[in-house]
Amino acid sequence: MPVVEAKQVTKTYTIGDRDIRVLDNVSLSVQEGEFLVVEGSSGSGKSTLLSLLSGLDKPTSGRVFLKEQDITDTSEDDLAPLRNEFIGFVFQSFHLVPSLTALENVMFPAELRHDAEAFDKAAGLLKRVGLQKRIDNFPHQLSGGEMQRVAMCRAVINNPKIIFADEPTGNLDSENGQAVLELLLEFQKERKTTLVLVTHSLDIAKLADRMIILKDGRITTEN
Amino acid sequence: MQNSFLHRHFIVRQIARSRRQVIVLILCVALSIVTLISLNGFSMSVHNSMLNDARTLHAADIIIQSNYDLSPAVINAVAGLEKKNQIISARVWEFYSVVRNQNSQNSLLTKIKVVQPGYPFYGRVILKSGREFDAVLNSGSIIVAQALLERLQLHVGDALRIGNTTLTIADVVLQEPDQPVNFFQLGPRVFIAAEDLKTLGLVAKGSRVWYRCLIKALDERNIQSITNQLSAAADEDQERVETSRSARSGIKRFFDNLLFDLSLICIFTLLLAGIGIQSTLAAFLKEKEKTIAVMKTVGATSQFITRHYIVILTILGLSGTLLGLLCGLLLQNALDLLFSGLLPKSVKLMISWQAVVEGLCIGVLVVGLFSFIPLHRLKDIKPVSIFRKERIRFKIGAPMFLSASLIFAFFVLLVLRQIKEIKAGLYFVLGVILLIVVTSLLTALVLFVLKRLKIRSLIIRQALKGLFRPKNATRPIIITLTASLSVIFSIYLIEENLDAAFIQSYPPAAPNLFFLDIQPSQLERFSKTLGMPTEYYPIIRAKILAINGKKVDRKQERRRRGDNLARTFNLTYRDYLLEDEVIVKGRSLYRNDWGDLQVSVMDTVAKIQRMKIGDRITFKIQGVPLQARISSIRSRTRESIRPFFYFVFPPGTLQNAPQTIFTALRIEKHRIASLQTKIVEAFPNVSAIDVTSTLTIFTAVMKKLSLIIRFFAGFSIVAGILIILSSVLATRFARIQEAVYYKILGARSRFVVNVFTLENMLLGLVSAALALIISQVGSWLICSEVFDIAYRPLIDKCALLIGGTVVLVVVVGLMPSISIMRQKPISYLREQTQE
Repeated sequence: MPVVEAKQVTKTYTIGDRDIRVLDNVSLSVQEGEFLVVEGSSGSGKSTLLSLLSGLDKPTSGRVFLKEQDITDTSEDDLAPLRNEFIGFVFQSFHLVPSLTALENVMFPAELRHDAEAFDKAAGLLKRVGLQKRIDNFPHQLSGGEMQRVAMCRAVINNPKIIFADEPTGNLDSENGQAVLELLLEFQKERKTTLVLVTHSLDIAKLADRMIILKDGRITTEN
Repeated sequence: MQNSFLHRHFIVRQIARSRRQVIVLILCVALSIVTLISLNGFSMSVHNSMLNDARTLHAADIIIQSNYDLSPAVINAVAGLEKKNQIISARVWEFYSVVRNQNSQNSLLTKIKVVQPGYPFYGRVILKSGREFDAVLNSGSIIVAQALLERLQLHVGDALRIGNTTLTIADVVLQEPDQPVNFFQLGPRVFIAAEDLKTLGLVAKGSRVWYRCLIKALDERNIQSITNQLSAAADEDQERVETSRSARSGIKRFFDNLLFDLSLICIFTLLLAGIGIQSTLAAFLKEKEKTIAVMKTVGATSQFITRHYIVILTILGLSGTLLGLLCGLLLQNALDLLFSGLLPKSVKLMISWQAVVEGLCIGVLVVGLFSFIPLHRLKDIKPVSIFRKERIRFKIGAPMFLSASLIFAFFVLLVLRQIKEIKAGLYFVLGVILLIVVTSLLTALVLFVLKRLKIRSLIIRQALKGLFRPKNATRPIIITLTASLSVIFSIYLIEENLDAAFIQSYPPAAPNLFFLDIQPSQLERFSKTLGMPTEYYPIIRAKILAINGKKVDRKQERRRRGDNLARTFNLTYRDYLLEDEVIVKGRSLYRNDWGDLQVSVMDTVAKIQRMKIGDRITFKIQGVPLQARISSIRSRTRESIRPFFYFVFPPGTLQNAPQTIFTALRIEKHRIASLQTKIVEAFPNVSAIDVTSTLTIFTAVMKKLSLIIRFFAGFSIVAGILIILSSVLATRFARIQEAVYYKILGARSRFVVNVFTLENMLLGLVSAALALIISQVGSWLICSEVFDIAYRPLIDKCALLIGGTVVLVVVVGLMPSISIMRQKPISYLREQTQE
């Protein structure tokens, strides 16, 4: 059963008086527990595809389904519970809340669900990724690798069914990038979570169950 | 070299890119001067139209005045000077009396002015008919105020019973030069010719009459020498001889005091607006930190950058100053409406160019002083900050202290210039500093506690964190709001307490009708006519000559704010305490072991010269000195409308002194008019004061004055509002970021709205609560120490004040956040990715 599905989605942006088609009639289906890599050069539409699949953006045409539920026209507020319980995000720029500590950032999604064990879960996750001594630090006091690990913990605290990772190692050095990727894959395997990961890196792509390559907004290759 | 020129495009774009912050900054500058300009211009208009012509205000060059009939010596001196053709004079008698409509049972308390021909020597009495005053006012005729005709249902030509005689209403007075406003009069005006004074039968020994002799010098150069001659002849303890320049007009004194208080409020607003300027400018420059760091990276010097921002600030400062000037002039016209009822129609509002120039200078100075530190800090921005996320640390050093000192000096000078009294000015400055220091300390304490609170609720916790968001001007917002609200809350609390003490909580048993000027010989008949039991109080009018042998300096006493020993006092005699009196010093009212004449003194007057038991006071009663020793000091257990006396003698001591008697009684409201008429018919010399209607007049005037003061104080809140707006704008990016992250992580819009709303609620609540604490303490001190009334904290009304403040802060804080809350996550994320 597909966890997330896109059917003939197209995304066009209007900039000034020009229409720019970023995605062109893309159809895609991701199965439960699958690790899918979306690869492509800069401007190929990878991040746009990710944003459509995760419900962060709406397609110009076509339909998107999450857990077989058509989310194409669903409002932001109605998508909120899905984002909280069903989806986890890991971004290239980390996007941690600057006014929250590492622990508070990780706890936040669980607290939105009124999870009484939010603290314990968050502390446990941060310990797991080696950040037990950094739990009270703010994002500006952490290194890139540390911030991305915090972001990962935040993404998995609610045991989401699917994790969307948009170039999670893009802002990290190779050593940290490798460490972060390993953790992400560890979480994915452990929890049998579906992982959709956008990357330039073919090395990362090799680790996936399946890879699609986007070029000029279309899927050109699917392995 | 780039470091020596001005990059015009840079200047324009820096302003254009931060349009909203720029607007807030301009508004702060405008606010700093708007009230001061409008008030100064208004004040100059009032002075020019009404108060500057002292001769018109007194209707004479020289005024001899007394609460007793003028002494033969001074009358002879005046006559002598008239004979020598140096002066012309006109006597004036002014007193209250109840007049009656001949044809009905209506009677009315009026203020009677009996004048000799020649009055007024300066200015004009304007009559409704347009005729000349001295042509209309003859023996047998009177001129009355319109209000009298309306209330007694009379017309010009009707007869009016005044005292023992009946006179004909000849015309209506619209304006008199020496009383341009009449809101504090207990009754409408009646002019009577001096030839009718005797037939009135209202002026007797002991009557409460204000005696004046107005003098016009035929050669202005002789005014001072004539004044000196008359002063030498006058009884200095009872009579005052002043020129129109030296005499203090009651009206002028009233407006001087009112404008004085309003000036203080305007300066307070200026100070808060200055804080707003500094906070807003700091936020504006903080936005430019990266730009400045990049510019320095490519070789711009601190000097180059500072020069550009000085130019930017000059443009914004001038814009704000001009806006403030324009708004100040417009506001000046609105003041006409605000003061309506208090000012005569003859007051012409005019643009005072002096006020305009002063406003311009003050605006420029305020901007310069309050922008010094933010501009100075530009040099601390290092190029490396474009790479590092650490906060730029600004050094506290000599420039900071210099800036603080200059600001302090500026305010002291401004205060002294505005209010022209060194002592009061310094007290005010110290008071404001104390207010700001206390507010700052309390704010720091509250924020310290809030930061460390462990809150379970996610929404409340996020809202609290929002208060400590970097660039959030939480501290200046709370300090400014708290300071301004403290003043406004205090005004409200004091007003409510005064209202409660004197007007609202009018005890059911309190007297509501006073009868004054009952002659001792009339007492028995009066009592029979009244037909109800009541207490009678003898009143002997006297002045204080000396205390413990030291002469009372009347000139100095009159300069004292509040009560003073130079005025005329009402003495009485009895051997018991009134039900609301208590002895606070001394064993009993009078001492059996003293042979001296004794007097019991009220604590409020004893405080004036620190009088104590055993001190000797020398009084002068109708020219006769009388020394008495203080045997006890009394106090009132509560403030009320009941009669009370500062000086009480034992019975038997003043029995034979010239006196009148007064009584205060309580009757049903509907019987007041008929009883008043009945008494006045039988005893025309007796004045009746309906206290409830007097209080109504008094309340209306006090409410008007309070409205005026609160109107001006309200501007100080605007400073706090502007800082809130500036803070929201400065943290706009951070708020968008937070809102987006919350939504990405699964929070609904309602969650975001709730967090932002709660953040503003906390801000408002903290500010209002601190303001309430400060104002409660301040109001209690003023009520108990200055007004000597019981203080009520008015908790229920305070809750409303807090609620109102919270609503205001939430609305102001949320308005610019609406677009932030609507921000879709994807737009933000896309921008971040593109960056």
